Amino acid sequence: MSWTLPKLVPRSEPLILLILTLAAAVSFAGVGHLVARFNANQQARGRKLYTQGLADASASRYNDAIAAFRAALTCDPTNSQYQLSLARVLRDSNDPRLLDEAESYLLALWQRTPQDAAVNLALARVAAHRGSIEDATRYYHNAMYGAWKSEPDANRTKARIELIQFLLKKNAPDKAESEMMALAAALPPDAAAHLQAAQLFEQAHDYANALAQYEEVLRLNPRNSSALAGAGQAAYRTGNYATAGRYLETAVKANSQDADSRQLLATTDLILRANPFQSHISDAERNRRITAAFTQAEKRLSECAQQTGVDLKVPATVTASPLSSLESRLTDIQPNLARLRSPAETDLPDTIMDVVFQTEQQTATTCGSPQGLDLAMLLISQKREAASR
Amino acid sequence: MSTPASSPLATPHPSVVRFRISRRLFSTLEGAFHEEVFFLILSVFIGIFSGLAVVCFRLAIDWMHLALLGPLPQTHSFRLLAVPSLAGLVVAVLVLHLFPGIRGSGVNQTKAALYIFNGVIPFRTAVGKFICAAIAIGSGQSLGPEDPSLQIGASIASALGRWLHISREKLRLMAPVGAAAGLAAAFNAPISAVLFVIEEVIGRWSAGILGSVVLSAVSSVVIVRWFLGSEPLFRIPVTTFKRPTELIAYAVLGIVGGLASVIFAKSIGYLRPRLKALPRWTQYFQPAFAGLVVGLIAFFGFPQVMGAGYDAMDQAMHGQFAWKILAILAILKIVATTISFVSGTPGGMFAPTLFIGAMLGGAVGDRMHHLFPQLTGSTGTYVLVGMGVLFAGFLRVPMTSVFMVLEVSGNYEIIVPVIVANTFSYLVSRGLQSIPIFDLLTRQDGLILPSLEEEREETILRVEDAMLPVPATILSAQDYVDANAHRIQDSTDSIFLVRLHPAGWSTISREQLQRLFQEGKGELTLGSVLPAQSVPSLYPDLPLDSALRYVNAYPLVPVVNRADSRRLEGVISRDSVFQKYGGTQTVVGV
Repeated sequence: MSWTLPKLVPRSEPLILLILTLAAAVSFAGVGHLVARFNANQQARGRKLYTQGLADASASRYNDAIAAFRAALTCDPTNSQYQLSLARVLRDSNDPRLLDEAESYLLALWQRTPQDAAVNLALARVAAHRGSIEDATRYYHNAMYGAWKSEPDANRTKARIELIQFLLKKNAPDKAESEMMALAAALPPDAAAHLQAAQLFEQAHDYANALAQYEEVLRLNPRNSSALAGAGQAAYRTGNYATAGRYLETAVKANSQDADSRQLLATTDLILRANPFQSHISDAERNRRITAAFTQAEKRLSECAQQTGVDLKVPATVTASPLSSLESRLTDIQPNLARLRSPAETDLPDTIMDVVFQTEQQTATTCGSPQGLDLAMLLISQKREAASR
Repeated sequence: MSTPASSPLATPHPSVVRFRISRRLFSTLEGAFHEEVFFLILSVFIGIFSGLAVVCFRLAIDWMHLALLGPLPQTHSFRLLAVPSLAGLVVAVLVLHLFPGIRGSGVNQTKAALYIFNGVIPFRTAVGKFICAAIAIGSGQSLGPEDPSLQIGASIASALGRWLHISREKLRLMAPVGAAAGLAAAFNAPISAVLFVIEEVIGRWSAGILGSVVLSAVSSVVIVRWFLGSEPLFRIPVTTFKRPTELIAYAVLGIVGGLASVIFAKSIGYLRPRLKALPRWTQYFQPAFAGLVVGLIAFFGFPQVMGAGYDAMDQAMHGQFAWKILAILAILKIVATTISFVSGTPGGMFAPTLFIGAMLGGAVGDRMHHLFPQLTGSTGTYVLVGMGVLFAGFLRVPMTSVFMVLEVSGNYEIIVPVIVANTFSYLVSRGLQSIPIFDLLTRQDGLILPSLEEEREETILRVEDAMLPVPATILSAQDYVDANAHRIQDSTDSIFLVRLHPAGWSTISREQLQRLFQEGKGELTLGSVLPAQSVPSLYPDLPLDSALRYVNAYPLVPVVNRADSRRLEGVISRDSVFQKYGGTQTVVGV
């Protein structure tokens, strides 16, 4: 079989080029039509596989989802939605080897549309998986300031909250704090959002700002039991026991099952009843509280010494135990308790309470966290120390 | 005053004016198209048509793959066994009955067309290659689409050249021009395609064709990118090269790649003639058997070896396979490709070569990281370098291999690792396998064609090799004849060089000079009695071939310095040239 092409009669170059141009144009159109039809078929097939992949991903069947998205991409290799979904599921599969592939897909997408907030958020999550604070922060910020296709404000807030949680997890409270300040300033008047912000402040041990956020929640919804409990706890942590007592009491009333709040309320009540430095109490009451605190400190020291096997009767110079030293100081100061009533002894209450506080702190260090009145005394001592600092 | 219509001064009818303008324009255009320009423009059209053909070819492969195997073949599916085997049968029937000239990759056939068949590649070759390679690759045979694309491009170019009745000299060049277009379109890499065609198809550096090859390659890539997008073949990961000590690791990769290349090439070289020698009826079943072997490999857990395998290379580049899997894939791909290729199934070896290199690169890179955790090169970097390594070692195209990696990765940071690894691979391969794979295949087919490797190793004789020392007696054209005659009395030479004024050289024999003296022309300057035409001079670094044109016409040819043409470096004569050729006899191609 022999296939020969017809001979062209004219040997005129311009005519030849004209014919070739026409032939190229016709072939171009033909191939264009073919490619368009092929692509249309492929895209339809890709959409079907993509839908299947989404279903698998939402059911946490990551391997099936990866296979479906990969197949969808073989049908429509440039589809950025498929690439993004594959990257997300590769990342969520928790296989470190797949993280590289996820990142490469996302970086390719990022190079095409660096302003796409969804791509930046996905990249931020990959960086967070890797534990890279710098990259994650950069991509989270890109996501916050990038273009969202829907609900931009809510998505930006979510991205910032995610960043804060990541920074807290990575033990970077300073960076988290600055993000939280920005978050608090931009929050809409929504109780849930303020509640979340308050919890984040609480996680960062910023109880003052946490209290402010809880109070904002209570302003919007005064009967929010989580906010009441949270406000009580935040006030308690800041040493604002009067406020803590008020919120905790309401929280316990609103939710009688809240054991944490109930316990905190008990400690708060104890502090408020035992604190000799509380304002608006009589001298007699103050002296009673000092005497009670002293007695409790002696008891605590004795118990702690017994627990640790320290003989308090042996002089401190021999045992070199701080407990023995405290015992001798308590013994020395005990006769002075009787002089508390004397108006001339203005420094005596502080002197006695200093020994009491030192005893509580030392026994807490040696014998573990105390309970009841000892805990109340310890907390009062910590608050005074913080105030003096 | 009105002019009568019949008057010669009458204004011609507008249609007549248009006709005259068209004719004038046409004849002006015709004058502008001398053959070289026309050939360059034709190269662009070759690129366009080849690009369009390759677009259709790729669609055909994808369509076949989807129709026969589905978008993502799953292991343990009997479809994996049935499809490549049955497709192999169909391909065998087509090859044996309709398209007998399309077996193998097509690179050799294109080269043979250039050197033996005056650039003629039947158009049915393009048709047959298109259909059979699409079925074979689409059904999962372990072959690539690049070499068939090269042959389709060359076949289209050859058909176009014959259709236009261009000169035989130009027709010969059409095949490589089309080959470059086809390969560039298949690879989406014009520079590598141009270099490969020069290194492997043309087999020698030829400036005359370079422009056409480049034009066709670029225009075909533009066409492919227009239709199929400009996405690269792989998603290139971040590639880095920081410490020079890491070059040791790349050198190890080069050595491993070189050894793998030798095994791959020797397997093909050993099995191909033996399978061809089997009875003809077995040829109906050889592609089917190859398909069955590939299908079995896929069935038992390695579907990545099917087809070109670009997706698997992409995954390897992103570290998705453990090193053992990478090593197994490399070995299985060598087995699968060897069997697919030697069975006579039409398809190329480019993509499988890249696949094997990528997997080996990944495996070696992983092991290197395990042994030396301080290495900074990612697995992706080793995979990329590995691709070039196999290219250099197996196909023995060192320049193409370097540029291919650079073009595919778009990253020049890894050029040093690529060069180091490729050099080692090339040297190991050359040391253990003297004949490159494409040359081996042509020799198995009974042909001996020139190659660039051969040219590189060829000893080139230069003028300086045959040059005689500067003669003791050099005459001056400004001196009188009798003075010159007096000067030659002490010399035994029979021919003398004459320095002309202000520049140039001539020669005169002892007899001629003595005759002039006897004729009473002793009072004349030698320059005034010498013939007007001077003797051409040569430079020492010129090839000795260039002296052959002069040594018959002139008894002595001066060899002068390139910086100062009046400074004589030596002379050559016919005897000295022939003596040199006689002393260095080489038999080319043995």
